[in-house]
Amino acid sequence: MDGQSNARQDSVLRMRLFVAGNEPNSRMARDTLERICREHLQGRFELEVVDVLEDFKAALGENVLVAPTLVIYEPSSQMRVVGSLCDPSRLLKLLGIRGEEAGR
Amino acid sequence: MPTSQVGRQFKEPGAKALPKLSTYIRGLDEILSGGLPQGRTTLLSGEPGSGKTVLGLEMLYRAALNGEPGILLSFEESPQELRQNAATMGFDLPGLEAEGKLFLLEGRIEHRSIVEGSFGLEPLMAIISGKAREMGAKRVMLDALDVLLALMEEPLRVRAELHFLADWLSNSGLTSLMTLKPRQAGAGRAFQDFFYSMSDCVLLLDARVLNQVTTRRLRVLKYRGSDFGRNEYPFVITSCGIRTIPITAFRLLHKPFGERLPSGVERLDGLLGGGFFRGSCVLLAGEPGTGKTLLASGFVEETCRRGERVLYVSFEESEEALVSNVSSAGIDLATPGKEGLLRFLTAMPESKGAEEHLMEVVELVEEFGPRHVVVDAISACQRMGGQQAAFDFLMRLLNFLKGQGITILLVNQTSGSKAQLEISGNGISSMIDTVVFFSYVHGDGETNRAIQVLKSRCSAHSNQLRECVITDQGIKVMEPYSGPGGVLTGTARKLQEAKDAQATRRMEAEIHLREMEVARLEALLEAEKARLKAQIEQAQWDLERLRAERERAHRETAERLSLREEGVRSGIHEAPGD
Repeated sequence: MDGQSNARQDSVLRMRLFVAGNEPNSRMARDTLERICREHLQGRFELEVVDVLEDFKAALGENVLVAPTLVIYEPSSQMRVVGSLCDPSRLLKLLGIRGEEAGR
Repeated sequence: MPTSQVGRQFKEPGAKALPKLSTYIRGLDEILSGGLPQGRTTLLSGEPGSGKTVLGLEMLYRAALNGEPGILLSFEESPQELRQNAATMGFDLPGLEAEGKLFLLEGRIEHRSIVEGSFGLEPLMAIISGKAREMGAKRVMLDALDVLLALMEEPLRVRAELHFLADWLSNSGLTSLMTLKPRQAGAGRAFQDFFYSMSDCVLLLDARVLNQVTTRRLRVLKYRGSDFGRNEYPFVITSCGIRTIPITAFRLLHKPFGERLPSGVERLDGLLGGGFFRGSCVLLAGEPGTGKTLLASGFVEETCRRGERVLYVSFEESEEALVSNVSSAGIDLATPGKEGLLRFLTAMPESKGAEEHLMEVVELVEEFGPRHVVVDAISACQRMGGQQAAFDFLMRLLNFLKGQGITILLVNQTSGSKAQLEISGNGISSMIDTVVFFSYVHGDGETNRAIQVLKSRCSAHSNQLRECVITDQGIKVMEPYSGPGGVLTGTARKLQEAKDAQATRRMEAEIHLREMEVARLEALLEAEKARLKAQIEQAQWDLERLRAERERAHRETAERLSLREEGVRSGIHEAPGD
């Protein structure tokens, strides 16, 4: 249990968030994600935000048809979260950040 | 291949024609009065398996082949599955993809995706418009968008998203196709209604099973700003895609008849007033075994001998059986077959629906280009799914063939006493120009075949019932026997002919006898005349003699008296008493 959480804490989260300009769902997802990264993942994340309206080829390359879409590449096998990420605690769970860590 | 009869002529004069794009599906442009509404959305709605995806895919594929690039976004099937399915119909999607004329986009959301809150379709639209710009695409197809929308839990959200999509599509300038499975109830029902209202043209597709045969049908539910065919149109998915031939959109474009063609039976030509007309539709009707197929085969042989192509559609016998059966009657269909002048299309009627049969014939006619087509037998067409199926098949086939000026020989098997009612065959009598009716004539312990021309448009023809016999040189129509005993056939005919001959001979003898009698009487008369004449002469002679005698007697008496008187007067008496 401890070993696992340590491993998580040591690993770096590599993510891409596909947004559609300033569309409200996209803005909400971006805000939520950036806040969590700031608060819980200091130095342990790489986040690229892609605006599909500017770069459709990136969306095409990842086969992203809806926005916002969060694609997590590492550390676990690829995972996708679709939607406005309106519930930060669910997002924390999905990112594998423990409850106590979240409360710290 | 797009048809030439694009429906612009249906427009009111002066009305601004709605710009349309060809569907490139045979028959569909006619139903849609020209094609799909350009720059607008067309919805293909139907249950799973009704052919929505195939129809959309084929439209996109054929448009791409014709230089109009397109994008296909499928939310249900992967691009690889689409490529494989398309290949079964001979569509080479990878080829077009390589040329940049077609783009297949994976629309399936990865199944491990986690939904957290609301989302929108902007990336989808961005990809489509970006790709469309890149490749110059004018058409896009969104296949099974409802699958994606089902991920949105709130109906309001779905509505908003669809509104947004509809607006975006109508501003994109793309001509779009969407497919949708109809929903009777629930949340799906709401976006079905919205799909219907956002689409300018809605096509309903379905596949239903009638008498154990699946029939696919297509109907236009609505078409804003355009006329359209309002019926249900059967269609088929063949090995080369979708085909439809609407009955009512077909105008009657029958070609006029050409010259007379020999039927292959010399005396039948006489009854027909010179043979069958080129381009006419001839029905050979009659009971089983009366010689219909033989007559048709004889015509085929005769026609191929002149170097013309014939297609023989057989629903009753295999090619081998047919060729061998007619060869025993001296008809050679093997040679024209080898020379490539004769092609056979044989099928069990129940093996598929009427439309598929029709398409098969139509495609072979277009490929092979026959001048004459035999359908043997139209009575078997009922097995394609009933009376209506047979009618659909025949009506459209005849229309098509007549439009091409192809001569048609239909064989129809009738049975028993209702034969006269059945001969017109499946309610298509208005399409038939000539009817040759075969029947059996029973009597005197045997059955014989008889042939009669019952109808022959634009032609004088004999109504005589003639005996026909099947010889080892095909069918022979006999000279009419129309003596006092009516039309006779077979042995009865021979007996009657013998009887007639006998009667004739008896008559001759009688006449001869009477002539002799007359001669005898005349001779008798002459003899009597001679005898009487002799008697008369004798009597006359006697009379003369008597008269002469009487004369002489008178004279002598007179002389004696005068002498006596003289002596008295002179006084010289001879001594009295000397």
